[in-house]
Amino acid sequence: MRYTEFTPFDLWLLAQGLGVTVGLFLVTSLIGALVGVLWGVVRFYRVPVLMQVITFVAEVLKNSPVLVQLFLVFFGFPAFFKVNMTPLNAAIITLSLNTAAFVYVIAVSSIESIGRDQVEAARVFGLTRWQVLRHVIAPQALAFSIGPLTALLVNQLQVTSLISVIGVMDLSKIGANLNLRTLKPFIVWTAVGILYYLAAKLVATLGAKLEKRLRAHSAFRGL
Amino acid sequence: MLKVENVKKAFGQTTVLDGVNLTVNPGEVVSILGSSGSGKSTLIRCINGLERLNAGRITVDDFDVAKLKELAEARKRSGTVFQLFNLYPHMTALQNITLAPIEVLKRPKAEAEAEGRALLQSVGLGERMDAYPAQLSGGQRQRVGICRALAMKPRYLLLDEVTSALDPEMTAEVLAILAKLAAEGTTMVFVTHEIEFARQISNRIVFLEKGVLLVDLPTEKFFAADGGLAQPRVAQFLSKMRKD
Repeated sequence: MRYTEFTPFDLWLLAQGLGVTVGLFLVTSLIGALVGVLWGVVRFYRVPVLMQVITFVAEVLKNSPVLVQLFLVFFGFPAFFKVNMTPLNAAIITLSLNTAAFVYVIAVSSIESIGRDQVEAARVFGLTRWQVLRHVIAPQALAFSIGPLTALLVNQLQVTSLISVIGVMDLSKIGANLNLRTLKPFIVWTAVGILYYLAAKLVATLGAKLEKRLRAHSAFRGL
Repeated sequence: MLKVENVKKAFGQTTVLDGVNLTVNPGEVVSILGSSGSGKSTLIRCINGLERLNAGRITVDDFDVAKLKELAEARKRSGTVFQLFNLYPHMTALQNITLAPIEVLKRPKAEAEAEGRALLQSVGLGERMDAYPAQLSGGQRQRVGICRALAMKPRYLLLDEVTSALDPEMTAEVLAILAKLAAEGTTMVFVTHEIEFARQISNRIVFLEKGVLLVDLPTEKFFAADGGLAQPRVAQFLSKMRKD
């Protein structure tokens, strides 16, 4: 006989799973954003060799499935480099790098979207490349990139569910366990889906708010 | 002294400047006339270091713009006003003006802002200093552009067709300010299609044609029958411009 009823403790389990998912999402997004922007800056300065290496790595990361990358890091790295790899570490490395690759693309296109004319003006008045980046390009590129960045993050939040296959106890893994015990897939996966939806909605809303603030200078203020 | 010596510039196969010589002394207003594509804007872009020279030399107070170390110093001495304003859209009028003084000249913020406000007031924009470029008219934007250049206290003001993107009314707004600056003794290199205005404010007028400096004469002489008008190309250009 198995116990197939839901208990209040299941809610606690779901909350824990959600916590792991959101925590992992936040950590990997932060690392990914930092690394991706750093790569973008390297490209802005046209650092030889490093720039080509980054472009190649980003290409590989963008054009292969996250699941394959995850398996490579979790199973491949320990075998090849003789290192210990916990599921959590593998998840953080994989998701961070994957996010970084897409952030890099967004950073490059945002930087390039800033008109040459303004950059030339700033240079003529004697600003260094770094000062131009910091005062003229970055504020505008950031405002420009919030839209695509929000879309990316909403997607990356869903992508975290892949890590359940290597045993990280995230929301999807908890859902799978609950499903096995209760044999009520419709209810379990609906509940899990709603939790993902709410988290994603929160990300999208915050992104929209931030974008509105950063784009204040170009907003149409009415007649 | 601003010195352009035998400057050549080509974009691919197209020669844009073909051995240009020009000297601008402090206190002078020199207007550069010529039809579109004659190399006027390129000459300005060479002087402020936005284009690399293929041959020749440009010095601003003896600082060679082709040398990286001297370019920064040369740029400090010249201020550029652009045809399409080139303001920073995410900054207010005042911030547009104070950015370079604060970052490049390391002026204290309060001081730079006080000067910026005074500059904006002097061009009739005292009320609009917290407006973003998108909220300003073309004439107002160009006045901000002029203030931005003046805030660096340049010895030479480079003006690249600063009224070409403006309607006649806004053009008048901007020209009035330039006339005032000229009267105050500001050294200017003034690329323009406003011939009558150039005649009023310039000490000298030069005429560029296909990258060659055809004429370099004092203003009165330029418009005299035995001076600039003796050149058929100049006479043709002037008569065409006046008809418009």
